[in-house]
Amino acid sequence: MSEFSVIGKPVRRIDGLEKVTGAAQYTTDIKLPGMLIGKMLRSPHPHAKILNIDTSAAEKLLGVKAVITGPRDTLGVKYSNWRRYPHLMDETALAMDRVRYIGEPIAAVAAVDADVAEEALSLIEVEYEILPAVFDPLEAMKDGAPQIHEGPTVRNNVSEARHFEFGNVDEAFKKCDYVREDTFYLHPVIHAFIEPYNSVARYEGDGKLTIWTSTQTPYYIQTLLAMALGLKEGNIRVIKPHVGGGFGGKMELFSDQVVAAILSMKTGKPVKVELTREECFEGGRRRHPMYYTLKTGYMKDGTILAKEAKLYTDGGAYNAMGPTSLYLSGFFQMFPYAIPNYRYDGFHVYTNKTPATAMRGFGGPQAEFTCDSQIDMIAEHLGMDPAEIRLKNRMKPGHVIPGLAKVESCGIKECIERAMESTGWKEKKGKLPKGRGIGMGCYGFMSGGVFNWINSPYAYSGAMVRVNVDGTVDVYIGSAEIGQGSDTVAAQIVAEKLGVPMSDINVVRGDTRTCPPDLGAWGSRQTLMVGNALIMACDQILDKLYKTAAALMGPNVVYDYAAKDGRVFIKERPERGLDFVEVVKAAIRADEGNQLIGRGYYTPHDKGMVSPAYSFGAQVAEVEVDEETGKVTLLQVTTAHDCGQVINELGVEGQLEGAFVMGQGYTLSENLVTDQGKILNPSFVDYKLMRAPDVPENFTSLMVETYEPEGPFGAKEAGEGLTNPNAGCIANAIYDAIGVRITDMPITPEKILKALDEKKKKEAKG
Amino acid sequence: MRDFDYIAPKSVEETIKVLSEYKDEAKIIAGGQSLLNILKQDLMAPEILVDIKHLSELDYITYDEKEGMRIGATTTHHAVEVSPLVIEHYPILSEMEHTLAFPQTRNWGTIGGNLCIQDPTGDVAPPLIALRATVKIVGPNGERILPMEDFSTDYYETVLEEDEILAEVRIPPMAPRTGVAYSKFRIVEGDAPIVGAAVAFTLNEDGTCADARIATNGTAPIPLRIPDAEAVFKGKKITDELIQEAVEVAGEAMECIPDIVASDEYKKRVAKVYIKRMARKALSQIQ
Amino acid sequence: MKKILSFTLNGQPYEVAVKPKTTLIELIRDEIGLTGPKIGCNAGACGACTVLIDGKAVDSCSVLALQVEGHSVETVEGLADGDKLHPLQEAFLDDGGYQCGFCTPGMLMAAKSLLNENPDPSIHEIRHGLSGNLCRCTGYVRIIDSIHDAAQRMKKEGGEKS
Ligand SMILES: Cc1cc2nc3c(=O)[nH]c(=O)nc-3n(C[C@H](O)[C@H](O)[C@H](O)COP(=O)(O)OP(=O)(O)OC[C@H]3O[C@@H](n4cnc5c(N)ncnc54)[C@H](O)[C@@H]3O)c2cc1C
Ligand code: FES
Ligand code: FES
Repeated sequence: MSEFSVIGKPVRRIDGLEKVTGAAQYTTDIKLPGMLIGKMLRSPHPHAKILNIDTSAAEKLLGVKAVITGPRDTLGVKYSNWRRYPHLMDETALAMDRVRYIGEPIAAVAAVDADVAEEALSLIEVEYEILPAVFDPLEAMKDGAPQIHEGPTVRNNVSEARHFEFGNVDEAFKKCDYVREDTFYLHPVIHAFIEPYNSVARYEGDGKLTIWTSTQTPYYIQTLLAMALGLKEGNIRVIKPHVGGGFGGKMELFSDQVVAAILSMKTGKPVKVELTREECFEGGRRRHPMYYTLKTGYMKDGTILAKEAKLYTDGGAYNAMGPTSLYLSGFFQMFPYAIPNYRYDGFHVYTNKTPATAMRGFGGPQAEFTCDSQIDMIAEHLGMDPAEIRLKNRMKPGHVIPGLAKVESCGIKECIERAMESTGWKEKKGKLPKGRGIGMGCYGFMSGGVFNWINSPYAYSGAMVRVNVDGTVDVYIGSAEIGQGSDTVAAQIVAEKLGVPMSDINVVRGDTRTCPPDLGAWGSRQTLMVGNALIMACDQILDKLYKTAAALMGPNVVYDYAAKDGRVFIKERPERGLDFVEVVKAAIRADEGNQLIGRGYYTPHDKGMVSPAYSFGAQVAEVEVDEETGKVTLLQVTTAHDCGQVINELGVEGQLEGAFVMGQGYTLSENLVTDQGKILNPSFVDYKLMRAPDVPENFTSLMVETYEPEGPFGAKEAGEGLTNPNAGCIANAIYDAIGVRITDMPITPEKILKALDEKKKKEAKG
Repeated sequence: MRDFDYIAPKSVEETIKVLSEYKDEAKIIAGGQSLLNILKQDLMAPEILVDIKHLSELDYITYDEKEGMRIGATTTHHAVEVSPLVIEHYPILSEMEHTLAFPQTRNWGTIGGNLCIQDPTGDVAPPLIALRATVKIVGPNGERILPMEDFSTDYYETVLEEDEILAEVRIPPMAPRTGVAYSKFRIVEGDAPIVGAAVAFTLNEDGTCADARIATNGTAPIPLRIPDAEAVFKGKKITDELIQEAVEVAGEAMECIPDIVASDEYKKRVAKVYIKRMARKALSQIQ
Repeated sequence: MKKILSFTLNGQPYEVAVKPKTTLIELIRDEIGLTGPKIGCNAGACGACTVLIDGKAVDSCSVLALQVEGHSVETVEGLADGDKLHPLQEAFLDDGGYQCGFCTPGMLMAAKSLLNENPDPSIHEIRHGLSGNLCRCTGYVRIIDSIHDAAQRMKKEGGEKS
């Protein structure tokens, strides 16, 4: 049955009308009667003991309804997504006795308006004892460095070390014709979603609380908020209205959520806490800076035999999702190549800076920059075409990474070949006029993590589908639409399965009270996991409908049935069938009027340590470098992406373009600059995001369709993986253009000029 | 943002009166594109804002063959950008405005506000200096006219007294055989410049240089006119060697300040590249 | 210390008392209650708050409410004609011009301003015309395409009418 009705067809998104008319409600748009405004006081010091907090003057200010501090008004529970690994839980909503980064929340107020709240903050007096601070992970690991956290599992500020190894790396290195070692540095960037962090909490009394919040993970918020507040999980209702972007930065419980809840509990009024853009920088999260060392052994023919990767990551003051970024960076370092012998050691190091966490690519962008840069260096050394060496070492379907993963579908070969063909790679590589160059980057990415840090007893995704007597369908899902289009994909899957039009599907989402628990939007998991849960739910319904149709039609019992285009019919005899609504009505009647409901869930089994399936892709960029200023302009970009069966092509293309441009900014312009832990560019004026005139005029997305047996209709992820190859791809294109290689990100015009100077000096010396 | 009072005077005259009365407690607001950001950060706390944005008396662009162009201080960037008069007589100004900030900023921000905020990277002053513009300042004691290059005194500081306003920019007609070019360097489009350069040449009939003007932004606390570099060209035939010589001389005059985007050496180096490029471009317009 | 302000919003006259420091976005969102325009940066750098003043795009976070005295202001809520969507809205829907949608109200108004002035913009002109609007989701490509498509649709509509 390859002829789909809605899968892979151009359909309008189900949230479109609201979004283009301005009617779509985000948390920031919520205003409740009697609502107070909450604001947080933040630490001006990177590391200090809190000796005393005097809130008396703030409390006396007219219009102030509550002032809270960590020790006095919170349970002081350390929480984070690491419930399964409690030794990694290290953060509280408000500082208890110590602050560890500039911007860490210390106290909060609720007042009648923002002005009063601001003024109240200025009246809170905090007495600090300044402690020595450390800002670089390599410094922080040294003996005698300031210790940022105590605890039995933290040594020299290393909160987590990751090691994996397979094959025999040392032996393999000995066998190699060549071994090279290169070091790289990756800089910090931020998520820069356009909707700031914000929440509205309303305490309902009796231990019940409702919170509207801008999050990727409603279930995490529900369960962790229960922990932080000492309430029952089921009594907390988390509503996720539309969310203005997340990119990994909104998948944890944050202070604004806890503080809004506590302030509402104290005042009995709804409380809104909304971060300013500056606060999103200082009190938010960032992508991990990393020091990377890669040692790779290879043969004269280009075969890579062994690789050893070592990395030290600047985790900031708390773990956040750092241990997973660390793990995945080491994991994606292999992708998309079949490396027979591999050893990885990664260290997550505390520093007195904003905590770093998951960000689109989840450790992958750092890994692929180093991997893609080094592969090109190897190709150059051997005089090989960088595309050929990639093809030679590529993963193949069925590839097994011992102890870690099994890759079923894998279209990397087709991706590389199509990208080459479409860009005229062979004619261009090494042959463009001086100042212009072409480069390639490749990647593989997960379609949903097999991780359950939160220790949820529920399935990874759940779904409930109810068919009403008129044939309309209510779809209940707990996944989090944050702009990626997952609600539309869910509706498409149900419409396809039941054979009903998209307009008859109503998706109920974003409310933990009505929707099944779900791990939320991270690790590109929703299409695959929610999709599978929905398919299970639909199959239950179809089972009932088919039985009813059989009873109504009375044909030979050997026949199978299908549902499509508003009909239920005999598969082998499509002309013999019944109207969908008729069958639905009959099925409900036959079951004493019981609602026609299907329930489904998905939990990955036997899929290794990381993901049930992997997407792949190849990326080619053509750049022009101004050799007098060092400025890089992207002329043309081509992506060939294997995301299994495409469910929504417009959605996939949009995700790819968005991911690319984010990668372009990561490579060329974005940089979170700090001095002694203080962010120097905490605004959209000074933090340089790519704008419309900067993006390549020619952007080509090629879909390489494979069939992923684990995916719904054969589908896999799209949209996160492509963040990963851009830096390497652009760096390689720059090298092709002007012969200089930058290994220290970001690739600024100034660094390019400096490298050009050095190159000229070397050439002059001969 | 702190509270303040607000007044919208009906004329320039009344504006000056209000300013004289409130002195340093008052602050002018034109488009507010810069000022509101300053107020939001509590970097300044005026008692009263004096709104001149709506004064049609200051919103005009005129041209006269003899006197040249006059642009009122509250004329928006956008109005300059699309003005047929500007495009006809000083196309460089329209080009400059076309890449200044964002469409939103240009639609509401004013040319006067841009000059008065005196951001050392501002786009407007260098081409105006190259075009030999002057500014008209109005105060309680009447008017005074100053060359554009004498208007700025330091970072975010101008010659304006508390009770004075910038009323008009005047640009003399362009001499025959004149070429003017301006461009700026930035990493992300739509962003404020890191550095920029404006160059104007007027040639004698024999092709030698009658007059040269060079001005840069982002290279000093104020928009920098560089007479020593201009002097290199006087009376000579402009060649690439001569341009290179002037560029080196110009480099000596710059005192770039390093920031998070670029070092001082880098800024200077790029500013020099831009002087070179703009010199070539200006020349190509006449040759 | 509030002052009286009269202006039109989406064609409807308003007379409201506002504090001098109230910005236009605060007036529109908090006091009048239209939540289409969004606040992304409150500093004139992201364009999420873009509205039209007399047909031209302006960052409403960077304009004092009192400054629109006598002017006509238009937000995304005024874009559709009753139930009939504006061609820009149709094109954004068909061409994938939005994802999370947070930048969309500002993008649409920036686009409208651009088309008001230049009904048949080139791709280059559209790119340039959006320089004041940040979008973190789409990479801009589909937004640019949507606006181009909308201009074509409007040309066709105009052609049919005349
Ligand atoms: C995000 C952003 C990006 C920008 N990018 C650029 C850029 O790329 N290039 C560039 O050159 N500029 C840039 N700017 C600055 C912009 O050009 C100015 O903000 C704008 O032109 C100022 O005009 P305004 O009318 O809004 O001035 P306002 O903000 O109202 O006033 C600025 C200052 O000038 C004073 N003032 C205003 N008019 C007068 C007058 N007639 N007499 C006396 N004093 C007066 C005010 O008191 C205030 O101190 C940018 C600004 C922003 C916010
Ligand atoms: S909120 Fe106004 S420009 Fe960002
Ligand atoms: S669609 Fe999310 S910011 Fe543009």
